[in-house]
Amino acid sequence: MSATAWTATASGARARGRHTWLGVFTAALGGLTAFAFCLHVGGGVTATLNMNSQPAAAIPLVVLPVRLTCAVLAAVSAAAGAAILRRQGGRGTYGLLTLGLVAFTLAFVIWAARGTEVSFEGLLASTLIDSIPLMFGALSGVMCERSGVINIAIEGQFLGGAFLGAMIGSLTGDLWLGMVAGAAGGAALGGLLAVLCLRYQADQIIVGIVIVTFATGVTSFLDLQVLTPNQATLNSPQVFGNIAVPVLDRIPLLGPILFDQNIFLYLALALLATIQVGLFHTRWGLRVRAVGEHPRAADTVGISVLFIRYRNVILGGAIGGLGGAALSIGSTGEFTSDMSAGLGFVALAAMIFGRWSPLWAATACLLFGFADSLQSNLAVLNVPIASPFLLMAPYIAVILAVAGLVGRVRPPGADGQPYRRE
Amino acid sequence: MERPLARQTADRDTAPRPRRRLRRGPGLRWVVAGAILAVVASACGAARPAASVAAAKVLPRSGSFLGCMVTDTGGIDDRSFNASSWQGMLAAHAADHAIAVKYLQSTSASDYVPNITAFERQHCGIIVTVGFLMATATLSAAKADHTQKFATVDYTYPQMSNLLGIHYQTDQDAFLGGYLAAAMSKSGVVGTFGGIDIPTVTIYMTGFVAGVRYYDLHNHAHVKVLGWTPSKSNPLNGTGLFTGSFTSQADGRIDATTLMHDGADIIFPVAGSVGLGAAAAIKAAGPPNYMEWVDTDGCISAPQYCSIFITSVTKGIVASVKAAVLAAAHGTFRGGNYNGTLANNGVGLSPFHDFANKIPQSVQRELQVLRAGIIRGTISVNPNRYPAG
Repeated sequence: MSATAWTATASGARARGRHTWLGVFTAALGGLTAFAFCLHVGGGVTATLNMNSQPAAAIPLVVLPVRLTCAVLAAVSAAAGAAILRRQGGRGTYGLLTLGLVAFTLAFVIWAARGTEVSFEGLLASTLIDSIPLMFGALSGVMCERSGVINIAIEGQFLGGAFLGAMIGSLTGDLWLGMVAGAAGGAALGGLLAVLCLRYQADQIIVGIVIVTFATGVTSFLDLQVLTPNQATLNSPQVFGNIAVPVLDRIPLLGPILFDQNIFLYLALALLATIQVGLFHTRWGLRVRAVGEHPRAADTVGISVLFIRYRNVILGGAIGGLGGAALSIGSTGEFTSDMSAGLGFVALAAMIFGRWSPLWAATACLLFGFADSLQSNLAVLNVPIASPFLLMAPYIAVILAVAGLVGRVRPPGADGQPYRRE
Repeated sequence: MERPLARQTADRDTAPRPRRRLRRGPGLRWVVAGAILAVVASACGAARPAASVAAAKVLPRSGSFLGCMVTDTGGIDDRSFNASSWQGMLAAHAADHAIAVKYLQSTSASDYVPNITAFERQHCGIIVTVGFLMATATLSAAKADHTQKFATVDYTYPQMSNLLGIHYQTDQDAFLGGYLAAAMSKSGVVGTFGGIDIPTVTIYMTGFVAGVRYYDLHNHAHVKVLGWTPSKSNPLNGTGLFTGSFTSQADGRIDATTLMHDGADIIFPVAGSVGLGAAAAIKAAGPPNYMEWVDTDGCISAPQYCSIFITSVTKGIVASVKAAVLAAAHGTFRGGNYNGTLANNGVGLSPFHDFANKIPQSVQRELQVLRAGIIRGTISVNPNRYPAG
């Protein structure tokens, strides 16, 4: 009893220290905004935000005076920081922190676009496109880990799915078959993970890394030996075109971004909704979570732990494979070796940042997608930052998010632990 | 923090398990053996045997002279400078069947030195390394062994008897590419992006910018270039848009999309196979969005996108690599540097293919005049000579 009380006090003190730190950080962002973006800009300089995807302007251009806007945004950040410091905890801390960060980022973009025009619509659109494969990857992770199996192998599932998707899509000339093949490729790698982790109870982290290495090697090898000599027949699939949702795609700004997109975006959103509702509002989800949190208890009431884990890991693998297919037949129209380029690990980070919740993980994917989209837009705007530093932006966002903002997260109780009956 | 803890408990729980599992049947042994085999095979496949298998398939090892090539991370099939270099090797073999050729792929920068060393052990008559990034590794290998001949595509070296730098003045043909892009742009905005911010990439972008600025100056136009702003002091430096690799096509797609959102309708990616991602985005966006391919004639190396390639800004890697290998095989190899220019046909625009009839005759004539002017030295390809639009 007393031990519990002591722990509570200690964590309370930690939390208070944390809130002070976050408050100071947010307020400092405001100061930085004022100092870096407002002071050096002349009074008459404006920035133009273009909200249209087509040259024919449906929404008038937004012209903002840079200095005034920056000053307002700096004040917003500073006020958010002060509010965090005053409240010392409570529920609104992360909301205020987000507000401060958003104000800072907006000020940065507006400062970068001073004297010129930036496509705000383009910034948001490429955020979404960037985050599609990440969403599949993060959902794959959620599926596995909620049932108690660590899935480090998302990167491998991406590669397997991208490879098979491109090859089958090209061979048969049917993109839908390619999509199914991509999912099957991911599911096969998920099955390998499941067998090694569940049947043979191997260390799940090591198995995950081995599967990534295995998938990288096998797909590169086959790319060189099989695809490259037969590029025209085996590696020239078509690409899924955009599908406009009638009426909804006419919504100003958000319409073209959300409703005139690739099938993979709709699929990702549908999966997201299904898994979110499924996990928290259905019997299936209850069982999955029970198995992931306390398998013994689940077993006691007659749930087959192994069956649920096998099913989830293989399904998760299939979702990862779809993410891979999104990279090849949903985007560039061919497989190239190592084309996922580490996105699987970013998806993993998004899942942890999202605290193993589908919705929050998808939000984290959007954040990482935004960081990537922001860096290419800033580069086009000719910001005086060397390109290697700009290119780091998504990864810095990952590190800050996972290490700094999330702090202590709690994975599913039995995550990574093999289950055996007594 | 949490995971290792969880793992410890897991290990403790299951410590006695593996023996029982093993006794249960041969399953685990087979899975482990299979996995090890697959990993070994695939790890090798990525680098070594694949290379020799591919080379052996094409060419008998009957030759008395062995020409060897190490690719950059873009790989042998990047439709760009690695692919062209390998074609140069094959062309040398075709010209003289006594020359056998083979290659090794670098999957990361850490493969450069091991690959070069592997070839040194195989007594290659010449080792061709492809790409600026491999220059340091090649230079130290050449210094360590003065009898081993080396050539590097895309680099200029200090004078050494066993080392040939093959360098291209690609700002000259990129200037023509920039002029053409500006002339063809409907939106008045053109764009470029690079793979990695290194001189062999930025020299293209700088020439492209110079061409656009020259077009603006002489046609009273205001075409803007996005994606690269050369610095005033050294035009090969500057700030701009880069994907950060020569491998991630998804990034190429995003960068092209960003440029199109900002109004660019003609895009010049300088990023090897990453440009294919841009091509996918531009093809999906449809006319009047087009692009220019880089290094090789895109209509030959990536024919599926020929309909969107206005032209390609090429460098004659095939010819110069072939010449270097033949010289080494025939004892006429001399160290130093080769500089490909418009004058010696080391660089140039490719034929216009599908666009031969779409590019106005007047523009095609102007390009001829510009080319002659650059060769004579009367037209500068330095963007800082022209006012920035």
